[in-house]
Amino acid sequence: MNIDRPPRLAQLWLLFVTTLLAAPIVWMVLSSLKSPEQIAAAPYSWWPRPWRWGNYAEAVQAIPFLRYLGNSVVLCLGSVAGTLFSCSLVAYGFSRLRWPGRDLVFGLLIATMLLPWQVTMIPRFLVIRELGLYDSLWALVLPKFFGEAFYIFLLRQFFLTVPQEMIDAARVDGCSELGVLWRVMLPLARPALATVALLETIAAWNDYGGPLLYLNDPKRFPLAYGLEQFVSAHSSETHLLLAAAVLFTLPMVLLFFFAQRAFVRGVTTTGIKG
Amino acid sequence: MQRRELQLGIAMIGPWLIGFFVLTLYPFCASFYWSFCDYDLLSEPRWVGLSNYRRLASELASGGPFSRALANTAYYALTSVGLSVVLGIALAVSLTWQVRGRALYRMLCFLPTVVPTVAAAVLWMGLLDPQQGLVNGVLESVGLSSQGWFQSTSAAAWPPAWPGDHAGRILGSKDGLVLMSLWGIGNLLVIYLAALADVPKGLYEAAELDGAGRLRQFRHITLPMLTPVIFFNVVMGLIQSVQAFTQIYLVSDGQGDPAGSTLTLSLHLFLTAFKDLDMGYASAMAWVLFVLVMLITTWLFRTSRHWVI
Amino acid sequence: MTTRKLLTSAILLATLFVLMAIDAADTPQTSNAREEIVFWHFWGGRDRPIVEKIVEQFNASQRQYTVRAIAMPGSNLDLKFFLSVAGGDPPDLLNHDDPIVADWAHRGVLTPLDELATADELKRLDAWLFPAARQLGTYDERLYALCNGLDIRALYCNTTLLAEHGLGLPETTGDLDVIAETIAPSGDAAGRRRMGYLPDPRRLWAWGVVFGGRFANPQARGLAERRSTRRRLLQRSLGWPTTVVVMGLASSRHSVRENKHLRGRRFRCSPTAGTRWSWTGNGACATLPKPSRLTSLQPFLFQLRPAEKNAGWVNGNFFVVPSRARHKQGAWQFMKFWTGFDGHEAEAAAACAAGGWIPASQQVVDQQAYQQALERWPLLKTFVRLASSPDQIPVPSLPVASLYYHEVVQAAQEVLYRGADPATTLQQAAARVRQRLQEVLDEH
Repeated sequence: MNIDRPPRLAQLWLLFVTTLLAAPIVWMVLSSLKSPEQIAAAPYSWWPRPWRWGNYAEAVQAIPFLRYLGNSVVLCLGSVAGTLFSCSLVAYGFSRLRWPGRDLVFGLLIATMLLPWQVTMIPRFLVIRELGLYDSLWALVLPKFFGEAFYIFLLRQFFLTVPQEMIDAARVDGCSELGVLWRVMLPLARPALATVALLETIAAWNDYGGPLLYLNDPKRFPLAYGLEQFVSAHSSETHLLLAAAVLFTLPMVLLFFFAQRAFVRGVTTTGIKG
Repeated sequence: MQRRELQLGIAMIGPWLIGFFVLTLYPFCASFYWSFCDYDLLSEPRWVGLSNYRRLASELASGGPFSRALANTAYYALTSVGLSVVLGIALAVSLTWQVRGRALYRMLCFLPTVVPTVAAAVLWMGLLDPQQGLVNGVLESVGLSSQGWFQSTSAAAWPPAWPGDHAGRILGSKDGLVLMSLWGIGNLLVIYLAALADVPKGLYEAAELDGAGRLRQFRHITLPMLTPVIFFNVVMGLIQSVQAFTQIYLVSDGQGDPAGSTLTLSLHLFLTAFKDLDMGYASAMAWVLFVLVMLITTWLFRTSRHWVI
Repeated sequence: MTTRKLLTSAILLATLFVLMAIDAADTPQTSNAREEIVFWHFWGGRDRPIVEKIVEQFNASQRQYTVRAIAMPGSNLDLKFFLSVAGGDPPDLLNHDDPIVADWAHRGVLTPLDELATADELKRLDAWLFPAARQLGTYDERLYALCNGLDIRALYCNTTLLAEHGLGLPETTGDLDVIAETIAPSGDAAGRRRMGYLPDPRRLWAWGVVFGGRFANPQARGLAERRSTRRRLLQRSLGWPTTVVVMGLASSRHSVRENKHLRGRRFRCSPTAGTRWSWTGNGACATLPKPSRLTSLQPFLFQLRPAEKNAGWVNGNFFVVPSRARHKQGAWQFMKFWTGFDGHEAEAAAACAAGGWIPASQQVVDQQAYQQALERWPLLKTFVRLASSPDQIPVPSLPVASLYYHEVVQAAQEVLYRGADPATTLQQAAARVRQRLQEVLDEH
């Protein structure tokens, strides 16, 4: 006898709730295959009649889709590379090294998480400009090489669970600190690294504000921002908009299915702080 | 020896430290300085003392855009966080039930969170279209009145602003945004589920022996055990909803439409800075936002002693 | 283990390499003999191919310059522009249609056209442009923008329908209410169907002027004079539409292009995104989104002095050159080519005809290609006739014009959506604009 034994009508309730949550996605996919006339037609019908696969071809042709996709991929890869590099290094410095003032500085790092991005937005823009990175993907990627408080925190928590003996053994074998990080910590932390990589991929794929501020030339637009161009040009063509949105969402859904466990772990780790 | 350790430590955290000074601390100080300046980005900042803050105060007093932005932000943050706590717990508990297809249910609840913000905005603008949207269609088919959503200024939490409005039309643009945020509740569910899994089973068994029913078990065991996560949910939720930008920017035509009903602090600040080129005023606003967030967080941490286990 | 490590590092390196390669590939090659003019616009949908064709034609006609057109999303064109100026990489040429000329010129981010054009060209241009087009580009008695197309509005009425109900043409905004109430009394069919006109805050400007509203002080160019004059100007009440009215059946160039909407016996309208409205066909009845709120708008409407004929609020598309643009002469050549000034009238007429646009000059209108378009879309004639009227009035050319425009739209939204009191709302908005103007003038 347990609290998790289902009450009566449990199935019905769960079915109802999950239908509510999933319906928008189903709606999006089905509508993206309808003709504009059917979308506007008065009695609503779920099923596309006829199935207009051509919507997708049209949506892809309406914007330089491949170019934007390429930019998005580069952005994601660059961001992940930068994040993994900087965050693992910094997390190691905060977890397995003892140095005076460490905990104080770590507190500072945690405090930056509470700082609203709006506060630093404007001067940050000017710093990026001074670095000559305005209107370049580097403007979005370079900051990732300086670490991100949340990921550092997450990796640090993981590094702390590694037994001290393993580190000591490596040090006795003549490993430098970088060697310890590279040979001992990182291989062990692979699940945590995967989580960070995943979260960062999603963040970079999603980022709209960054390109809005820093990118000037459509040649460099990632999909998230390029889609907005599409929205303003085709605001009345719901079917095409939704087709573009489906294409934009698809990679994330695929990622979700392939890396479901890392996903869930990533989100749960978020809860540690609470 | 200590010196070497310090050097090594600093070297390791070096990347973050550089980033902190260049991309956080300097901007942090600069925006504080600029909040006392008149600055349009194109010419040099000019010291104007407290005038930006005075302007904020006077807008607050006269009900100008700033006070509206504050009210909108409060509405959005409180409604979405409040509902996310209630729905998050309710759903998470439901998802612990041992029913057939539980894994599938969990997955379906999580799926919406992977839909990117831009796509979600497009999706919900379609769904909530007052004329052709599915949501209004469903509402009407079950005998409820359809709602104005992103084309209406009304808000559910207080009575419609003016008497001419027709009965039953209470949900407006901000409620649409709240709905959007609740749709992505999956992230939260995973955290609640993890916390629920950590509750010792023995507690429930003991309670059962004492004859406690399902509700009393929930009230006296589950809920107290969840308080740390609830606290986390509230703190992070408030911070995130105060900072929310992309979805609001997208559904409001980039300007807080209709009638400033979606003009949140975040959006107002952005537009003041980059559309009106009033960097000084925007910086002052950013600092007010910062102080507010700090105050609320501190207050939450203080009161948490009384209810978080 | 080693293979995996090797693989990881290889992937990381490859990523960085690709990133750098992409960036390097994008920097303009210097070997090209022609100067590249970066041109920003926000045309999308059906207009996009026409824009592309004009650019192609220009590039084919040129040896010295080549134009690269970049379509920016319309809703953040201003933002992008300012950021590019601040970022040090502005476009060479920009096409816009909001009242930003005065603001931007005042900030010093625009090149006055007299720096690009010869004195002779300027003189001819002055006569060449419609008065409205001239006003749109002028600030402080200098030309900063070259208008390439006007947006004209007219009030259209279904006279058959009016006659059926024994109604005459509306002369005041109050008449519009009477018409709505007579043809489709409120309260039928659950109060959802209404024949009438659409209150649309964005068109407020248009209807204010059509029904005789005027800016209290249209001669805002006095700002050019000495400081004391500015003061005096400020002391008089700042320009403001003397009243706010609810819009009637607005019609711009777009609806003309699909003139089926006007041909129908009655109109059906439906809202699209946000607060935008569009004609969607000629259904049986006008459908307002929800129960009509017209009753609560009554205090919003009041009698105005009779409107002058051919009056209207005008805006339009225009070219501006940022002050930090690199290829200003090329930009000037291209805008001349597009607007048709100085011998390109025939091409310009063809482009305008293709887009259903209203040219900025009578000389373009007179071209054969455009005359054919007028035959094809007879309704367009009305708009073209209105375009030449001196009573077409733009937003006053003040350094706070954007704010002014925005405040009026906001005020209308306040009244329409929230039921605010029109007089108070307008007064507050006017106070804010006046204060801002004061600040702006004090700074310089």
